[in-house]
Amino acid sequence: MDTSSPTVFVNGELLKLYMGRRVRTVVQVIRNEGGAVVGQSTDNQQLTVKGPNQSVPVMHFMEVIGVADGPQSIRAEICTDFGSNFDTASYNGLCKLANGQFKNLFL
Amino acid sequence: MYSSQYDGGAFVSSQSPDSSVAKTRGNRSTTIPLTVKQITDAYESSSQKSELIVDGVDVGNIVLVGMVCNKASRATDATFTLDDGTGRMDFIRWVNDAADSSETAIIENGMYVSIVGSFKGFNERKRATAFAIRPIKDHNQIVLHFIQPIRMHLENTKSKVGSLSQTQQSFVNESSFSSGYKEPQTPVSNYASVNSKAQGSETDIYKLVLDVLQEPSSLASEHGIHVDEVVQRLGLPAKKVKEAIDYHVDVGHIYSTIDDFHFKSALGD
Repeated sequence: MDTSSPTVFVNGELLKLYMGRRVRTVVQVIRNEGGAVVGQSTDNQQLTVKGPNQSVPVMHFMEVIGVADGPQSIRAEICTDFGSNFDTASYNGLCKLANGQFKNLFL
Repeated sequence: MYSSQYDGGAFVSSQSPDSSVAKTRGNRSTTIPLTVKQITDAYESSSQKSELIVDGVDVGNIVLVGMVCNKASRATDATFTLDDGTGRMDFIRWVNDAADSSETAIIENGMYVSIVGSFKGFNERKRATAFAIRPIKDHNQIVLHFIQPIRMHLENTKSKVGSLSQTQQSFVNESSFSSGYKEPQTPVSNYASVNSKAQGSETDIYKLVLDVLQEPSSLASEHGIHVDEVVQRLGLPAKKVKEAIDYHVDVGHIYSTIDDFHFKSALGD
């Protein structure tokens, strides 16, 4: 069992609190710009995802696991296509709970 | 094997040190959704490494959701590491027949899966056993899985709120933030245990009101106790008492019965 490098559940708002740390978030892909993907976070902020983005289609949801390297940017290590049917409100709520009252269950 | 300190209730918190309120619920063979962090914390803080106790609940089987990595497949078994974002845990899935081997064959590294397994034997072999591994098709399941341990944690610690608010008093009096509950800055929770910033007098009133509602006489009565009676008993301003009652209704400690002025404790045994 190894809990030395957890990945924090973040939304747009929480991302800036974890700069330089490994985070995970789900964004809805808005567009591809060269090597980066612009996505909308579950709390309606625009985030930029750099890195190996594979080919997650526009309008699909994508989970990004990587390092937060800017208040609205992530350097991705793993991107997973979460399909087109994803409940952003639940995910957003989970991010708040996992970083708030129930942080000790996650980090 | 489960030891005889049980009464047969899986949720009896007989092992936890502050089990002043022990709740018996359900059957013995529990399957509980958890995070790797919860399991690690429970394992490291327990003296009996053969059993897993989370929030005072003896854990039978566990459900985890995460990403597979380091998968290694052999004729008789498949081993892999599950990374659920809170930590990594090693698992083994024994392969006994064709159904098992087809189940493990479709699992690949980088795939999200849901695992039902057992923690037994972890102490000796440093890995848990997986009974079933299913790929996740609808990713909302991942979110749901993480919400479940949160809810469970809330439920299991709610029954201890009587003793918690007592500990809370000493925290407030010492004016120190406990390292156990370290979220004083988030506005999200209005849960009693986290209100370490609350003024001492407010927590007192809340506790006093709850105490009155939890007295045997109040619990015995079907419609609970009238607000005015609580005010009279405590001799406190009606406004403060009503505030306390509203708070307790919000967090689920009490509920209104025959009308908006009668309340009963939801925590009574």
